[in-house]
Amino acid sequence: MSDEICIMSVMKNIELPDIGDFDEVEVIEILVSVGDNIAAEDSIITLESDKASMEIPTPDAGIVASINVNIGDKIKQGDLLITLENSEADEKTTQTDTQKTDKPKQTTSEIVAVNVPDIGDFDEVEVIEILTAVGDEVSQEDSIITLESDKASMEIPTPVAGKIVDISVNLGDKLSLGDLILNIETTHGQSSSSTLDTTPASTPAAAPEKLAVVAAPVAKTAKPALDQSVSMQPKGDSHASPSIRKMAREIGVDLSRVTGTGQKGRILDSDLKAYVKQILTSGGGSSLPKTPVIDFSKFGDTETLALSRINKLSGKHLTACWLNIPHVTQFDEVNIDQMEAFRQEQKSKGVKLTPLVFIMKAVIQALKKHPRFNASLDESGENLIIKKYFNLGIAMDTPNGLVVPVIKNVEKKSLTELATELAETSAKARDGKLKPGDMQGAGFTISSLGGIGGTQFTPIVNAPEVAILGVSRSQTKPVWDGKNFIPTLTLPLALSYDHRVIDGAQGGRFMADLNSILSDIREILL
Amino acid sequence: MITKTQVVVIGSGPGGYTAAFRAADLGKQVTLIERYDALGGVCLNVGCIPSKALLHTAQVINEAQEAPHLGVTFNEPTIDIDGVRSNKENIVGKLTGGIKALAKARKVNVVTGYGKFISNNQIAIENSDEIIEFEQCIIAAGSRVTKIPAFPFDDPRVMDSTDALELTDVPKRLLIVGGGIIGLEMATVYEALGSEITVVELSEQLIASADKDIVNPLFRRIKKRYANIFLNTKVTSMEALEAGIKVGFEGKKSPEFDTFDKVLVSIGRTPNGKLIDAEKSGVEVDDWGFIHVDKQMKTNVENIYAIGDIIGQPMLAHKAVHEAKVAAEVICGHKSGFDALTIPSVAYTDPEVAWTGKTEKELKAEGADYEKGVFPWAASGRSLSIGRSEGVTKGLFDAKTGKILGMGICGTNAGELIAEATLAIEMGCDMSDIALTIHAHPTLSETTAFAVEMAEGTITDLLPPKKR
Repeated sequence: MSDEICIMSVMKNIELPDIGDFDEVEVIEILVSVGDNIAAEDSIITLESDKASMEIPTPDAGIVASINVNIGDKIKQGDLLITLENSEADEKTTQTDTQKTDKPKQTTSEIVAVNVPDIGDFDEVEVIEILTAVGDEVSQEDSIITLESDKASMEIPTPVAGKIVDISVNLGDKLSLGDLILNIETTHGQSSSSTLDTTPASTPAAAPEKLAVVAAPVAKTAKPALDQSVSMQPKGDSHASPSIRKMAREIGVDLSRVTGTGQKGRILDSDLKAYVKQILTSGGGSSLPKTPVIDFSKFGDTETLALSRINKLSGKHLTACWLNIPHVTQFDEVNIDQMEAFRQEQKSKGVKLTPLVFIMKAVIQALKKHPRFNASLDESGENLIIKKYFNLGIAMDTPNGLVVPVIKNVEKKSLTELATELAETSAKARDGKLKPGDMQGAGFTISSLGGIGGTQFTPIVNAPEVAILGVSRSQTKPVWDGKNFIPTLTLPLALSYDHRVIDGAQGGRFMADLNSILSDIREILL
Repeated sequence: MITKTQVVVIGSGPGGYTAAFRAADLGKQVTLIERYDALGGVCLNVGCIPSKALLHTAQVINEAQEAPHLGVTFNEPTIDIDGVRSNKENIVGKLTGGIKALAKARKVNVVTGYGKFISNNQIAIENSDEIIEFEQCIIAAGSRVTKIPAFPFDDPRVMDSTDALELTDVPKRLLIVGGGIIGLEMATVYEALGSEITVVELSEQLIASADKDIVNPLFRRIKKRYANIFLNTKVTSMEALEAGIKVGFEGKKSPEFDTFDKVLVSIGRTPNGKLIDAEKSGVEVDDWGFIHVDKQMKTNVENIYAIGDIIGQPMLAHKAVHEAKVAAEVICGHKSGFDALTIPSVAYTDPEVAWTGKTEKELKAEGADYEKGVFPWAASGRSLSIGRSEGVTKGLFDAKTGKILGMGICGTNAGELIAEATLAIEMGCDMSDIALTIHAHPTLSETTAFAVEMAEGTITDLLPPKKR
């Protein structure tokens, strides 16, 4: 047996066990019917002696094939009660018994559990979309659900092809690595090729014993029970008592945002107060004066367009950055004649390099010299965390909005390596396939509008980073060399930084060094 | 004549009078419209309270009957039906009178008559020229007994629950149509008073919404005491003959026809949504007669709220009372909302059946991962000492977190015992919270902790199904 399991049906006789010092006990009730799918320990009949009545449980699970006693029968130990149609995988596959009974006896279908794969450093990511339904036939790599973290949304593909048997998640569920998403019934041959990035638990089982491991979570992750008639549902395992729910309602707190610190994660009165306090002290934006609400249709036709998910997410982040960071923006223009000459030379040799890769290299050089620019403030705002790695965020325009993937260890990569990586990353960004991990870990960000236009702009620092470089379109400008105006290709740069961390003088020095490196690209090698 | 009021409440059942009193206590000027002379609605007049009075009578009779086991033998009881009835009426009178006094003390204006909407701020009182003009309205108009038109209800021998509570006589052979809570409670009363009972139920189980294993102890007891219990059986016809009510059945074990001295039809209740001209106020009523509301009891019309039986199942007084407070508080500007996690249900049969939270069949249907602990009362010293051993307590818990999801109890005082589990659910207790709470010994309430210990595997009074 290779990758599939044989669900062989086996008939099993269930006999009356030792019920103590009785014989000839009357059957007063039969609790199952032919065709019932019963679990081990389910009661099958009720017996009544002159002393007591007792329900007799089945030791095995299966489908009731026949009932061999009648009400009123007097029976004794060893008498046949019922026969069960029992499969090798018996109770572990009860979830899928519909398939089982529909199929001929030697069927080779297999149920594969699809779990949340490694999606980067995330826990409790919300399901915002379910892209399949029970009964759908899916191909390998088809997207099955969309998850959304506070950073990004991502579609989770299925590692195997087959038919969706059941879906274990609901919209709004928070999932973590390894959580069961759904079960797929694969047919022979398809599953064996599924060596994709699933977690071990979802690897197709090789033998029935292993199927137990695979299928066991079916019931486990089915969402628990309390049908809360409240819109304010606490987080995860936490729970709030009626009085806390009342208080939350009165002060307008959504309990799903409050983390309980009480025993077993209960939300306490103090959690609620701490949450409110934190909102108040962090500003929360609620005390800002509101912009006026205007009925624009008074002035002419209008159309309402929903903001994309990325718009909404980046909007929230940008507002936080803009409000929390005292920004200074410094401008400069760099002579890039030399860089352009080198670039064109390479281009004629078939090596395409964008100005951005040079800028990235130059920025790394400048960051090494000015470590404060590759840093973040800690939570207290009293310490600076200097990063010893050189990862750059590159702002990218996509059809869905602004994303900032991160190119890691730029200092270790050559210009051509960076060019290739940038091209791949931007293709992924356009297709919406960036994973959260692709967008984490930057120390500094570059936003280049060089390909689009404009003479200058003031970029917003991507907190918790402390500086960002904005690049506009290069222009040939007349530059006075002391005697003449020389036509010079100049690149406009704008450096925004967090004034809490970086002084104007430091900003000026960073810019001067960056200018010097870019205008003589040999310095990149230093 | 137009009477202006800030808040009007239609119906003075437990929901209605609670809403009126709460609004009055919060400073509103309140008018309470009730079609009958007595306040209190179905619950106080023809429902919960009178049935409980009669059930107590039944309990005394039953216990005396079983006393020979205890070594005490009473004479056969003499039943004075008028005395039984007047005891019940006394209790009802005390309570409804009490409500009237409370209304007066709160300066609630009680209007007797049948109120129907004529607009979204006016209600006309039928057969009078009085019009109540209101700012806010709470509809608490309740429900009525569901009647099947083909049954001869004009014959006094065909009763609904209201008629049965009248207790005009004790029929020799009584048929109960509908094996739900109301039918079985009335069966308990009439059986104790001497009727021979037959129950016919359409579904496969008595008290269909509860778990079967929780109903079973009751089923086993009454199966021996009643003439017949026909499950999976339909009543196909009912004909009033001189000799009795001839009833046709369709079921595996039932006869085709049988004749009874009286028949109680207790097949459910229908909401009164369609009887108050709600459409004139703009309030939407669905095909069943229910009015839909949000968590704050608001209907689709801004200033009109609805509570109780008329907004949906379960049709229980204790649900209506909580909803009433929410509606009154919201009207008075409080940020109230109905967010109870569960509403307990109780059948005051002998033994009682009570359940709260999820039932096991609901959990199964959801595919929830749960664990259960079942404690048979045969192992409870307290239960045995009161001469009863048939009870059972079942706890249902989240398999992952151990949090309590539901509980079902069958046995003496189950209705009282269920309160602990309901509180546990609201507080989010898990198994050990309950098991580690010391329950007095010997009590029936111990069985709650024992059921938890059965699930936990920490029980010592029985062999644990698994040890932990």
